[in-house]
Amino acid sequence: MNVFGSGPGIERRVNVANNDVDVIVAPRGSSRPPGIISWFRSVAIAIRSLLTGMRVTAGYLFGRDKVVTQQYPENRETLEMNERFRGRLKLTHDDNGYMNCNGCKFCEIACPNQSIIIKDRRNPVNDKSELDQFIWRLDTCTFCNACIQVCPHDALEWGQDFEGAVYDRRLLVYTLNSYAGPQARLIERAIKKDEQPEELKATIEPRSRYGTGVPLAGDELPGVPALGGEDKEST
Amino acid sequence: MSAAIVLLTLAERAAASLEVGIWGTAAWLAVAIVAAIGSMSLLGMALVLIERKVAARFQSRLGPMRVGPHGLFQTVADSIKLLIKEDIIPEQADRILFFLAPTFSLIATLLALVIVPVSPTLHLVDLNIGVVFFAAVSGFGVLGILLGGWSSNNKWSLLGAMRAGAQFISYELSLTLCLIVAVLFAGSLQLSEVVASQADGWWIWRGHVVTIVAFVVFIIASTAELNRPPFDLPEAESELTGGFHTEFSGLRFAFFFLAEFINMFVASALAATLFLGGWMPFQVGGWDTFNSVMAIIPGPIWFAGKVAVIIFISMWVRWTFPRLRVDQLMRLEWKFLLPIGIANVLIAAVIILSGLYFFPVGN
Repeated sequence: MNVFGSGPGIERRVNVANNDVDVIVAPRGSSRPPGIISWFRSVAIAIRSLLTGMRVTAGYLFGRDKVVTQQYPENRETLEMNERFRGRLKLTHDDNGYMNCNGCKFCEIACPNQSIIIKDRRNPVNDKSELDQFIWRLDTCTFCNACIQVCPHDALEWGQDFEGAVYDRRLLVYTLNSYAGPQARLIERAIKKDEQPEELKATIEPRSRYGTGVPLAGDELPGVPALGGEDKEST
Repeated sequence: MSAAIVLLTLAERAAASLEVGIWGTAAWLAVAIVAAIGSMSLLGMALVLIERKVAARFQSRLGPMRVGPHGLFQTVADSIKLLIKEDIIPEQADRILFFLAPTFSLIATLLALVIVPVSPTLHLVDLNIGVVFFAAVSGFGVLGILLGGWSSNNKWSLLGAMRAGAQFISYELSLTLCLIVAVLFAGSLQLSEVVASQADGWWIWRGHVVTIVAFVVFIIASTAELNRPPFDLPEAESELTGGFHTEFSGLRFAFFFLAEFINMFVASALAATLFLGGWMPFQVGGWDTFNSVMAIIPGPIWFAGKVAVIIFISMWVRWTFPRLRVDQLMRLEWKFLLPIGIANVLIAAVIILSGLYFFPVGN
């Protein structure tokens, strides 16, 4: 079917602001009045399509297992989150519990609002740069997924935890890594080749969410004043 | 619905106490009015709750769940909220009409509710022109909407009200044509006689295809009369921010809201009365045991069941189809429903004159 009818599309030229413009006239429907047969056909088509729609909604009505609403505060223990939900940012770990992050700062560069601040350090054993603190600011994060997309080691992922409300916005600045130390891959390689694995592991220092050396305990971040030197655990 | 019989007896008592003194009559009338308003509000709240629950099921949700078990008292809480809200009257509004408009809407609904035959005993007023009365009163309802839209002094309200006027005038025709078909078959305008004429079989079975078509057109036209989706152009939240009741708040808004839902009940009750036999039980010729079992179920339950089915269909339609455009609305009425309705009336007249319908009645 030709939308513009049987004739040529260009009907006439009109001068608009010293420019000749082709005007295409698209006739709406047929020029002849519809016959009685097409009237009955349109009624039949209408009834059939309406019944089709009603069958679809009836399917939703009677499919009881299709109810997707969850009664959240009541079912807090058995809450089922969707796989693609973006909750709190997490660092991934390998099977032995060592983190995949090596502190390469790709995510810090990719982050559009400077929500990620990486602090690195030199490992005293192999003199390689490694992660000291992975600081993530929930208060400025827009959950845009850029950090996860750029990560070359798949060291970041979204958690399912969404209960992030606190009474002090300084508590929204997290240290994500649980320890400062070499990447999982380096420890694995050291174990395989037997190159000072014990010495490497000995360089691991624990880090907690608001624990030692985090900005809350002394250092200041832009817009986030320090808490005054002493460690504050979250409540 | 029990309030109908209460109201009847209360009205009688009020009349009887007139001999003793004026204050007794006033007291009885006050009780009657409170009972009527109470039953209306209860019916409206129940319908709103059912609507929300059914809508939720259609959309894979749960609906209101917080107030009471499974959200049973949600509409009670909503009603209390509506009652204690600030009653805003726009500065430029026509104050008298603004006061009157919701009341007109509610009065029209109340008047239509009066003639609904729930059972042989539960029938408040059995007018000898019941069907005509219904057509007249339902036409009166649009006056409240038109005045509401006009008096708000708001462009959206006015647009919604004008749409409502065009819609009501158009669909009133189809509605009345369907009423005429039912009246032709029943041979009476009195609703109690319309019900009595269906003792041997409901008109929807006995009238060949004619009454089925009339029933369907009646449902469509009454949905349009009620401003229910897919014919909710006068309200049209997405286009007119609420249409004719944009400026109404609190109790006045509640009046419109209540009138709309009670109207849904009245229209469904009329459809059940005219085409589905009212409070008559389902009877099959020759099946005596089956018929006697069906006859045990009391009339009000039959009536409520039929009304519930029609209301459910109305909700089903509401949550399935998108809103029509204004030109589509007019096209549907003038090019499709009206020709079908007129042809239907003619065929019905031919059938009745030649006595062709099923299970012919004795008279």
